[in-house]
Order: sequence, then C-alpha cells, then structure tokens
Amino acid sequence: MGVLLRMEFAKLWRLSSVRFGLLVLVVFPLLWAYAPGIFDVYGFFIVSAYQVPALGLLSSMQFLLPLLTAITAAELLGVEITNGTLPTVLLRPVTRPNWLAAKLVAAAVYPFIMLAVFLAASLVAGAQFGFGQFIGGTGLGDAGLLGTGVLGAGAALGELVRGYFLAAVALVPIAMLAVFLTVAFMNAAGGALATLSALIVMQLFIVFPGLEPFLLTTQLQAYSAPTADLTWAIALIALYSALFAAAAVVLFERKDF
Amino acid sequence: MSSTPAIASDRLTKAYGKKQVVNDLTFRVNAGEVYALVGPNGAGKTTVIRLVTGLAFPTSGSVSILGEDPHKRPAVRRRLGAVVEAPAAFYPYLTGRANLRLHAALAGGVKDARIEEVLALMELKHAADRKVGVYSLGMRQRLGVAAAVLTHPEVLILDEPASGMDPLSLHLVHGVLRKAAEEGTAVLLSTHHLDEVVAYCTRVAILEEGALIDEVNLYDRRDRYRLRPTSVADAVRLLEGRPFVRHVSARGSEIVFIPRAASDLAEVTRHLGEGGVGVLEMQRDVFDLRGYYRERVHSERVRRTGTGTNGGLPRFPGEA
Repeated sequence: MGVLLRMEFAKLWRLSSVRFGLLVLVVFPLLWAYAPGIFDVYGFFIVSAYQVPALGLLSSMQFLLPLLTAITAAELLGVEITNGTLPTVLLRPVTRPNWLAAKLVAAAVYPFIMLAVFLAASLVAGAQFGFGQFIGGTGLGDAGLLGTGVLGAGAALGELVRGYFLAAVALVPIAMLAVFLTVAFMNAAGGALATLSALIVMQLFIVFPGLEPFLLTTQLQAYSAPTADLTWAIALIALYSALFAAAAVVLFERKDF
Repeated sequence: MSSTPAIASDRLTKAYGKKQVVNDLTFRVNAGEVYALVGPNGAGKTTVIRLVTGLAFPTSGSVSILGEDPHKRPAVRRRLGAVVEAPAAFYPYLTGRANLRLHAALAGGVKDARIEEVLALMELKHAADRKVGVYSLGMRQRLGVAAAVLTHPEVLILDEPASGMDPLSLHLVHGVLRKAAEEGTAVLLSTHHLDEVVAYCTRVAILEEGALIDEVNLYDRRDRYRLRPTSVADAVRLLEGRPFVRHVSARGSEIVFIPRAASDLAEVTRHLGEGGVGVLEMQRDVFDLRGYYRERVHSERVRRTGTGTNGGLPRFPGEA
C-alpha cells in the first residue's frame, strides 16, 4: 500500500488540473485584495490581511472549490484510462481495492492541499493590509467581517485555519463522489461533469421541507458553522464520503478492463 | 515438469449484452510453449487476453494461470508478465528506466541490476533516461517486453507484441520470447503476423467470431516431409509404427511423414529401400499457414452464414 500511495501522490503533482487549480487559487485572492470597486459593490473596506481569506472562501465554496476538487479527483483515475496504464498496473500483484484505495486517499487529501495553498496565497495577497490586530472580524467568526471589537492576530489566524480546515473536510465527499462517478463512466470528463451536475441538482432539493440538513451541499457551509453544530455536519460528511468511496471500490472490483 | 498447464481456458465465454465476443473457448498452454492466437479483426483475441490475465470477467467458463484463478488469487500475477496494450502503456512523463522501476516496485523483489539487464536485453540503454512520451512506437513495444520479462515470469502474455516494430526490433523480441520459452516460460500471444507465428510459435489457435475454429500444432507442421514413393501403400505400411517416425499418412501419390528427428531422414529412406520401395522425390513440406488460415476462416464463414464470401477470401500476396 505504501508503494501505491507514494505513486499516487507523485502523480498528483503532474496532473494538469492540479497545476491549473493551484494557479487559480493563487491568483484568485488577488482579485479581492486589489479590487478597486469593492466598497461600491459590497459596501465594506478590507482592513486586515486576515479578511482576504474569508472573502476568497465565501466566494468560491459554492462552485469553484467543488469544481476543482471534482476535476482533480476524476483526473486521478481518468489519466490512467487515457494513458492506458490502468491495465498495466492491475497486471502486477496489486489488488483492485488497494489500488483504488490509494487513489481515494490521494483524492481525499487533495482538498486539504488545495485549501492550504489557498489560505497561504490569500494571506500573502492581503499582506498590504497588515497582519496586526484590527477592529472587525475575519468573516469566518462571529459577526462576519464587522466583528465584535478588536481581534488579535492569533485569534484571527485561528478562525481562518479552522474555517479552511472545515471547508477541506466538506470537500472530501465531493472528491469521493467524483472518483465513484469516474469509475462508473470510465472517463474523467464524464465523472467530473456528473459530480457537478449531482451537486447542482442536490442544491435544488432545498425546496423539499426537512431535506436541507441532510444534503451534501448544505454541509459545504460547515466552515462557518458554530462549533456546537459541527458534530452533525461532520457525521454526515463522513457518511457521504464512506458511501461514495465504498460504492467506487465495489463498482471498480466488477469492471472489465 | 508439472502436469498443471501454465494457462488453461475452459469453456470461456464473454458476452457484452447480446453480443458474444468469446464463445466457449477451451485451450491449454504448457510450460515452454509459444501459443499464438490469430484471427481477423474482431475475432476476440484481445478479449481472450484480457480474460486470461484477469482484467475482464468471463460471462461463463473459467481461466487459470499456473492453476490459480487470477481474479481470486491476484498474487499469481507475481509469476506473470504481460503486455495487454498495443502500444505498451507507460507513464509518458517518466523515463523508460523510471517506468521500469515503478513496475519493479509494484512487483516487489526486483533489483536495480535486473532493470539494467532488461534495458540492455531490449537495446534500450541509450534511451533509458528519456521520457517515454518521446519514444517511438517500436521503442515502447520493446519497453513493454522489457517490463513483461522483468520478474523472470513463468507465464508471458502479450497482445500484438509485433505492432509497430521494425524488422530488427521484431527479431530481437522474437529472440527474447523464444529464449524465455526454451527456459520453460509459457508464452501466449495474439498477432496478425502469420510469418511471425510460423517462425517461432509451437501451436496456433485460429479464432473467428470469438470461437476457436482450429488449433494447429506448428511443431508437427514445421517438421513434415513429403515423399513420392514407388508404392504409396507399401511405404505407409513400412513406416507406420517405426520408432524413427512420429506420423505417416498417404496424400494422393505421396506420403507425408514426421521424423522423430531430422537425423532420422536417412533411416526412413534406408528402411523404404530395404522394403523394396523406391524414393522418387522427397522434400520438406513447407506449411503455408497463410493459405491454411485463409481457407479455415473462409470455410467457417460459409458454415456459419451458409454463403460466405464471394469466391472465397482473397489470397495473400505470395501465398503458396
């Protein structure tokens, strides 16, 4: 398993979607940090570097980050199909569940890598506003960007790390879903597209009363949830992740190559 | 030598929906044999290879490698070397050597020295540090064979190993496969190159529409002799059952026989002479696999459809 995991993480850096995705996440915060008309459009000023990451996360969690997660997770398997290397590897004494498990682990870890890069890039982009204490909020704590008074640098950074970590956790089931659908379609584009379609359709399910707390798309907001509400969100995220991963393994076990 | 065949396919059938791609296929490949699957495009050769290697699941029937089901016992793949893609598939962003290292890591227990050995064997040392993405088709095929033989496998399975190869590369690969067979490896390959089959394969299975329509023992065919005696009946009577002849039969005004060894030819003519049968002419019976293949495929189509192709299948250029 160690060899397979090393292989998958080495491959991860070579995926075009990873390189493109990380580049987008490095550039994206600059739009917020240097947006000239931010007050005219949104009615606030950025006063601290610690506010830029929240703006980035708030504006990307509904679509951009799920998109980048789904594409990379799908490409992790899709690139093997394109290169024809899938049978090559499976002809070695490697079991199918082990091989796919290594891919699922890489796909699950990727949102954490992505969010770590995004957070670092956002802080660097906001450096012009300073890293000291400030009056206001990070956008990920109580009272949003307005805050409740003076916020210290440590507390601000703590809020951001917590929010970004929870956002990465919420993206894991999307990565699992993308791997599962790529196994189903045996095509990276098909897998990523089906994942996004499923998320969009799921968002529409909020029209059914009582369904909203159970939706995967609802859990994407976990990063801003109060700690007391996190148990439910984490449990659902874990359940969705386990179900999609198990479905991917079961289906992969039965595929003809 | 073990009595368990290296590769066994029993009533193997594969269907995709209503389309039967492999139909009730039974064959055995023993250690030290080079067994070829030939047949027209769509005959099911690649599917058979994928079923045998465990990449695809049979609809019914069974396959085994060294007595083990490759689906239930993936560990048996430690004893298998295979190339199932044509051209052989590798990570294009890695060098040839790095790709082989990856194979070695997956297989386990392969030393760096062996990687260098197979690179040299397939004449790829000069290109070992180039990315596979810039390899020619033939180089990738050679790297595929290098990866397949990396672990000294007991069973080698290759789909279209000759695809995209120049004559020298082809000769090189033939040599490697022949040597592997001589050392006891069972080799199963699919190919369209009938000359390649005649040159070094032991047996050949002709597939048509997923079914085995004929299995030819090329070992016997290659060593056949035609002899025109003064009396066919007497010649057959004199040679039948003799220790220096494996087979004898009448064919018109000639007899066809297979000597135990090439050195037994003199014994055959001496024995006939002593029995009062003169030898008017004797020559090696060159087996025309291309003509045989064409006839078999044509007659199978006639049998199946009731009509066949108008005037039979066209002859190959240079066909006897």
